[in-house]
Amino acid sequence: MVWKKLGLVFNPAEHQLPGACVDFAQSPQAVMVGETIRIFFSTRERDEGGKYLSRVTYANFDRSFTFLSMAPSFVMDLGAAGCYDEHGIFPLNVLRVNDELLGYIGGWSRRVAVPVDGSIGIARSKNEGVTFERIGPGPVLSSSINEPFLIGDPFVQRFDHLFHMWYIFGTQWLTVEDSSAVERVYKIGHAISNDGVRWEKPSEGVQIIQDVLGPTESQALPSVAAFAGKYHMVFCFRESIDFRHVPSRAYRLGYAFSTDLVNWTRDDSMLGLDVGENSWDSEMLCYPHLFQVGGKTYLLYNGNEFGRNGFGVAELVAP
Amino acid sequence: MTEFAQAPATLIFDDFVRVYFATRPAPSSDSQYVSYTGFADFDRTDLTKVLSVSKEPILLLGGLGTFDEFGIYPTSLIRDGTDVIAYYGGWTRCESVPYNVAIGMARSTDGGRSFAKAGPGPVLSYGIDEPMTVSGPKIRRFHDTLYMWYVAGLRWTVSDGRPESIFKIRMATSKDGISWVRVGRNLIPDVLEADECQASPDVFELDGSYHMLFSYKFGSGFRNTDRGYRIGYAHSDDLVHWTRNDSMAGIQPSSDGGWDGQSVAYPHVFKLDGRLWLLYLGDEVGRYGFGLAVHSS
Repeated sequence: MVWKKLGLVFNPAEHQLPGACVDFAQSPQAVMVGETIRIFFSTRERDEGGKYLSRVTYANFDRSFTFLSMAPSFVMDLGAAGCYDEHGIFPLNVLRVNDELLGYIGGWSRRVAVPVDGSIGIARSKNEGVTFERIGPGPVLSSSINEPFLIGDPFVQRFDHLFHMWYIFGTQWLTVEDSSAVERVYKIGHAISNDGVRWEKPSEGVQIIQDVLGPTESQALPSVAAFAGKYHMVFCFRESIDFRHVPSRAYRLGYAFSTDLVNWTRDDSMLGLDVGENSWDSEMLCYPHLFQVGGKTYLLYNGNEFGRNGFGVAELVAP
Repeated sequence: MTEFAQAPATLIFDDFVRVYFATRPAPSSDSQYVSYTGFADFDRTDLTKVLSVSKEPILLLGGLGTFDEFGIYPTSLIRDGTDVIAYYGGWTRCESVPYNVAIGMARSTDGGRSFAKAGPGPVLSYGIDEPMTVSGPKIRRFHDTLYMWYVAGLRWTVSDGRPESIFKIRMATSKDGISWVRVGRNLIPDVLEADECQASPDVFELDGSYHMLFSYKFGSGFRNTDRGYRIGYAHSDDLVHWTRNDSMAGIQPSSDGGWDGQSVAYPHVFKLDGRLWLLYLGDEVGRYGFGLAVHSS
């Protein structure tokens, strides 16, 4: 594939974010509203204890990714005490279904022995994403016998009238030598649904994308699109220890293709999109989001520091 | 294990009745408990006679970050051919609220002495209208279908600065014991208040109808007061729709005080040799063990 990087298109430091948010515009997720590209993303505020809470808002762009305007506020509140999404929403994956938008919530709630757990919930918007209402207070996809924790990173698309969700599930928490820290390992899974609300995991506990870094590779944010006669998945992956400050162990973009949406062949070299030089995306590439508009295919993604400084976009020039 | 014998559940053998219960070692230095499940075997012809008590818990707690890392409580069991399958509440600890619970499954191939978990995760976790504390499973089989009655948390409230879980009785069905379909609504109407908490839904068949004993309490201020657990009753013809009538439960706290003078909770009914028996907990929800009553009419 040949991609043309269009560069950083949203830097949160240049905009007035809702609440007390100043940094981070993570996991961009696009939906068309008329001629406008509405890009939802997670930004962060701090709670009374100083810990981060991820909150979702959006920015509007024209078709050449020129910034137009910010959302009036956050698009939804965090969940109630004890709920799966009490301490953050990251990402909110948005899918247009008829005249509504469905928002799939990557919800986070804090634990004691490990920092967090995650589940996936659902909300809907009848006003083009300005506000979302949860369909219920609990999740639609949560842990199960062989997917014990950290269910997150939903990406939903309809193909042939069936809803498909690609998501991640945790496989282990690693203890780190000479440290009290624990680090998570997660893999990509697949669920299906007839109505977008009730989900089945036909391959429960089975990672659908093979590892290239070994069993402790972490894979995240799968995103799928159909073009050139195949299904294409872009995701990000990294080592599970020392990935924050060692660029060679940090997130990169991975790629796999499929003809049946079930069996995937991984070949990262086919993607043709790597870190830049001395730029906003020179140390890390993460949280990819494929979307198509006007016959073109684009990839939104975050760069260094997990998107502290915003997101950029690349345009597919040749498949 | 030194403290508590909670949430009794039975498995009947030729010569004895095995009663599984949740028990606890002494609390940690920060006053936090973990729970395990063990069992005691009682003489089938004299249920007041203890034959033996298990030396080890039937299941170990889960690994780092899993749903059952901090407790296995309660456990309910059913025979599956020559195996025994167990469903249990697995407890984890949270930052903003004290805990969360999901239901796990395990299988025994040695007659219920030891169990292997189906996997590291739960068989029934939080769902769209059961957002938290999915717990207290009771497993039954009717007409070749597995029925699980359980408890789902709807919300947390704060009372006297203390978070309290508000939970109601729910139900799910399954053909294979692994894939569950939830009914998705409260089965038993409240009688005390909207914050009434309901637990231990114990269903049995008698005289062509289905009967449920359960326990219920106020949502706050229930510790060591008369707002604590009582035993309620409901009946049903189809296992899904239930009519509540607590006056028919037929058991109250003992009027002469004693170990069950203030509250009665966590009923478990079992049939044995033509009679109906009730195991239950008394004051402080099992700190002093469980008791036995026999059905008289």
